[in-house]
Amino acid sequence: MTLDKMQDRLKIWAEETQTPEANRLDVTITVGNLLAAVAVLKAEGWYLSAITGLDYGHDADRMEVLYHFCFGAETLTLRVSAPHDTPSVPSICHLIPPAVVFERELAEMFGIVVVGIPNSDHLFLPDDWDNRVFPLRKDARLE
Amino acid sequence: MTQKFTLPVGPQHPALKEPGHFEFTVEGEIVTGATVRLGYAHRGIEKATEGRNWTQDIYLLERICGICSHVHALAFCLGVEQLAGVTAPPRAQAIRVLVAELERIHSHLLWLGVAAHEAGFDTLFMYAWRDRETVMDALETLTGNRVNYSANLLGGVKCDVTSASASQIYHAVDKLEERTRHYLDVVMNDDLLIQRTRGVGVMTVEQVDQMGVMGPTARASGVMRDIRCIAPYSAYVEFPIQPIVETSGDLQARFIVRVKELFESYRLIRTILDHLPDGDLKTRMPRRIKAGETISRVEAPRGELFYFIKSNGTDTPERVKVRTPTLCNLASVLTLAVGRQVADIPMILVGIDPCFSCNDRAVLLLDQSGERRWTWEKLRQYGIDFYRRQQ
Repeated sequence: MTLDKMQDRLKIWAEETQTPEANRLDVTITVGNLLAAVAVLKAEGWYLSAITGLDYGHDADRMEVLYHFCFGAETLTLRVSAPHDTPSVPSICHLIPPAVVFERELAEMFGIVVVGIPNSDHLFLPDDWDNRVFPLRKDARLE
Repeated sequence: MTQKFTLPVGPQHPALKEPGHFEFTVEGEIVTGATVRLGYAHRGIEKATEGRNWTQDIYLLERICGICSHVHALAFCLGVEQLAGVTAPPRAQAIRVLVAELERIHSHLLWLGVAAHEAGFDTLFMYAWRDRETVMDALETLTGNRVNYSANLLGGVKCDVTSASASQIYHAVDKLEERTRHYLDVVMNDDLLIQRTRGVGVMTVEQVDQMGVMGPTARASGVMRDIRCIAPYSAYVEFPIQPIVETSGDLQARFIVRVKELFESYRLIRTILDHLPDGDLKTRMPRRIKAGETISRVEAPRGELFYFIKSNGTDTPERVKVRTPTLCNLASVLTLAVGRQVADIPMILVGIDPCFSCNDRAVLLLDQSGERRWTWEKLRQYGIDFYRRQQ
């Protein structure tokens, strides 16, 4: 019900829409439309539950950032893709201030540049961590 | 004019025996700003799941937290079963919820003790932790373990409820219910505790929404955000829970919500034991999980626990993302501490029932070239060098 309404509200930016499970909607949008879509979700009372990074590897030349929003039992995920070598997404902190912890984690774990993040310090990794190593990328080795 | 100071709190024992680092800017005794630094219990668990099979990952994820271990395994198993198109038998689902509610009692009693200790009320701390032993004994009888219960399997549970274990749980619940009546009386009427809790760290409904606060902390501010009710999972469909909501939004409300939730857990445990479905404890699960993505949301003792699980069709996950409630609730500490006295900081921090191990989860130990795993000796030397540089 609410998902149907949101699907309608977001369709102007949606490149692809999927319903992988009951109570779930995945909307793929471009990086440029992210802030507008987040603003709509916030205005409709959805809360940001998590931000997930996905690394598809060098060969696919793609990283993906998933913004999971929840409303009651329903979950709506905004999916944004970025090139593997120069991944970058805009910060959504001016719309949702607590997102800063999720964005700091995304930046340090995946090396995705979050443009406009109010605090770019490491959240989990040590301050002297080698900034060329991004632990959750597929090419980071855990032996 | 009052001079401004930066007051570091932690990483050792920032009000409770887990590591986290806060920096509070103070003017005199009044807090004017706050920042947080985490990662002291970061163990690389999300990454490590990608190198283990689905079954091994249950045991790994269960070790994210020593308090709410079952709920991590539960969220993972429910998600993987959803991906595989398998549903655990009704008896298994009921036992999962039974363990989850016993775990909630354990967690809330542990929190009550810690919160009382921070208020300087060590008698309540010792009583609460003494009573917590009762529920830990019940968990040991049911599952064989006091902390990491290992109750879950993919497709079911390992442990069954016998007449002996049911009898012990009934007895434990009766005893704890009587004690909890006393605790409710204390948190609502004890003058000294009220001085430390009433009107402290007040959070409005708007702040809950703005800061993305979860669980009992949100419910103490009048926001009914409980996954057991709004998106029932496992046996919460057959055994529904009544949400506990308070409206004053202060620390006292957070005490009252958690203590009243204990009564609801006792009721639910008795109901489950009275109407435990017959049948199998597990069903068959494939070794390889078909490709796909799923989201699993469960209500941990501290609030909504969120799992995103992606399978690539093999016997190991492609990605497991864990978002724990403490990460969402920490933002509220940074906001609510501003304008309060320094002495209120520990109380406001424990008010959200923080769990730093949950929060940090995931250390990946690579040397500067990114090639070798660190040895224990090298890790030790790194620690020595690190602190030498700080001096």
